[in-house]
Amino acid sequence: MAELTDAELRKELLALGYRPGPITATTRKVYIKKLGCLRAEVAAARRSGRTAPPSPGRSSAGPPQSSRAAWDPAGDRKGLSSNTWWRRESEVTPSTQWGSSAAPMRLSSLFRRGKDDLASSVGKEAERDAGSRAGGLIRRFPWRAASDGGHGVTPRTALLRSAPRQQPEGKGKGLEYYLSQFLCLASLVLLLIFLGILVVKMVGCTPTVPVPPLMCVLVPVCALQFCQAKQKDVTMAVLQELYNYLSVQAGNFECGNPENLKSKCIWVSEAQDHVLNVTGTSTRKFKAALDWILNSNKDLGIRLKGRDMSEPVSSVEEVFCLESVHPQMGLGCRFRRAVVTAIMNLFLFFWSLITLWGILLYLRYRWRKMEEEEQAMYEMVKKIIAVVQDHYKEWERNLERYPYVGIFHVRDSLIPPQSRKKMKRVWERAVDFLASNESRIQTESHRVAGEDMLVWRWTQPSYLSDSEH
Amino acid sequence: MSSTSQKHRDFVAEPMGEKPVGTLAGIGDVLGRKLEEKGFDKAYVVLGQFLVLRKDEELFREWLKETCGANAKQSRDCSGCLREWCDAFL
Repeated sequence: MAELTDAELRKELLALGYRPGPITATTRKVYIKKLGCLRAEVAAARRSGRTAPPSPGRSSAGPPQSSRAAWDPAGDRKGLSSNTWWRRESEVTPSTQWGSSAAPMRLSSLFRRGKDDLASSVGKEAERDAGSRAGGLIRRFPWRAASDGGHGVTPRTALLRSAPRQQPEGKGKGLEYYLSQFLCLASLVLLLIFLGILVVKMVGCTPTVPVPPLMCVLVPVCALQFCQAKQKDVTMAVLQELYNYLSVQAGNFECGNPENLKSKCIWVSEAQDHVLNVTGTSTRKFKAALDWILNSNKDLGIRLKGRDMSEPVSSVEEVFCLESVHPQMGLGCRFRRAVVTAIMNLFLFFWSLITLWGILLYLRYRWRKMEEEEQAMYEMVKKIIAVVQDHYKEWERNLERYPYVGIFHVRDSLIPPQSRKKMKRVWERAVDFLASNESRIQTESHRVAGEDMLVWRWTQPSYLSDSEH
Repeated sequence: MSSTSQKHRDFVAEPMGEKPVGTLAGIGDVLGRKLEEKGFDKAYVVLGQFLVLRKDEELFREWLKETCGANAKQSRDCSGCLREWCDAFL
């Protein structure tokens, strides 16, 4: 769009049936926008004419087009009527209904207005109402075109701008979506795991008495020796009592320690006293029981500890204290412990979740920044192309000496001095982009004003390859 | 439009002469200052722009939005005001 001179712009506008005023510095921009809108309109009308719309639509699409063609060689009067028609288009909201009867009514109103003189045609309330009630395919498409143009840029530049943006946005959005879904799912799963751990911990520690399986094993061994069986019975009873006592003590120790025990491990003497009091057996039996524990390979739920806590105990004399492996704890205590354990176990997972969330936020920030940079780069590329092409056009009209323009000169003319440092990265990316992706601009090295520098030269393409059209 | 403001009625009632740009309907302090910075310090300069755009209200509104950032209502008021003034005096 930037390569249009004033005369060309005027010619284009006239070709599309609009009569512009003088194209000056202040009016140039609005006329360029107008040109974009009109072109979009034409393209949309052409598209609507090509696709087969329903019959009312077709009938309304046909006549307005021909009427417009009839207006093209129009004089001032018709030019103004197209002006007001354009104005009315943009005022109508998109939700107006359009009917088949609308088209002929619209046409007559337009032709009627075309006959009015300049001053009176402008402020006609009745026509505006009639026109707003009338529908028509033409009106609908200009609105759409206007809404495209109403974003402040012509459709082409909007397309150019949106095309590179879609790609990273779509990719980023997809990944973001999946990541957030995954995090939600992970949170749910962890909650379930937490509850599961809770339940397991609460239910799992029922104190199992090791006696029945042992009994089953023992019976076939000493079936013959009744005396030995009796002895085993006694030993078992002692062990049972010892086990209970130890597990109760361990439970107390774990759950708040009301007796102020130093550790889970109970002194041998204490245990012995208690057991002997309860069962009424002798010290010898107790020692035999301990011996039995030592020699048995099974896990009886009682741990024997020597003076040196880390070394395993080999004989009864070395035993210093006894510890229960299955402490007996009350329900509240178990629940409390279960909660604490579950929380501790899941603590790490929560932290990792938070870390992932932080990473997600950071990634989002990075993506946004990258998109902005890309946009800035493409803007710069567009401006550079416009400058180089203008320079070439001016050289063709013998206003410039050389057909090429120095890269630094372009940079200095596009970027004001205070932002040169800030835009350095954007500029360099734009230069690289042009070198690799733009076929119409060649990078060469020439001597300009006595200095060797890299220049850009516009290579004259055919009209069709110009992306702006 | 029955909903014209007092400002609009005042402006359209007489030739604008040397009135400043802030007397235009829709142009308040902020917009007026922005227009003055761009060189449109009197109402007749803005009228000049309106006439150069061949009294096309839509284009004029677009221009006004570009030049001083007027919103839709402000630009509509301004263009309507100028149009009526032209109808009356031009």
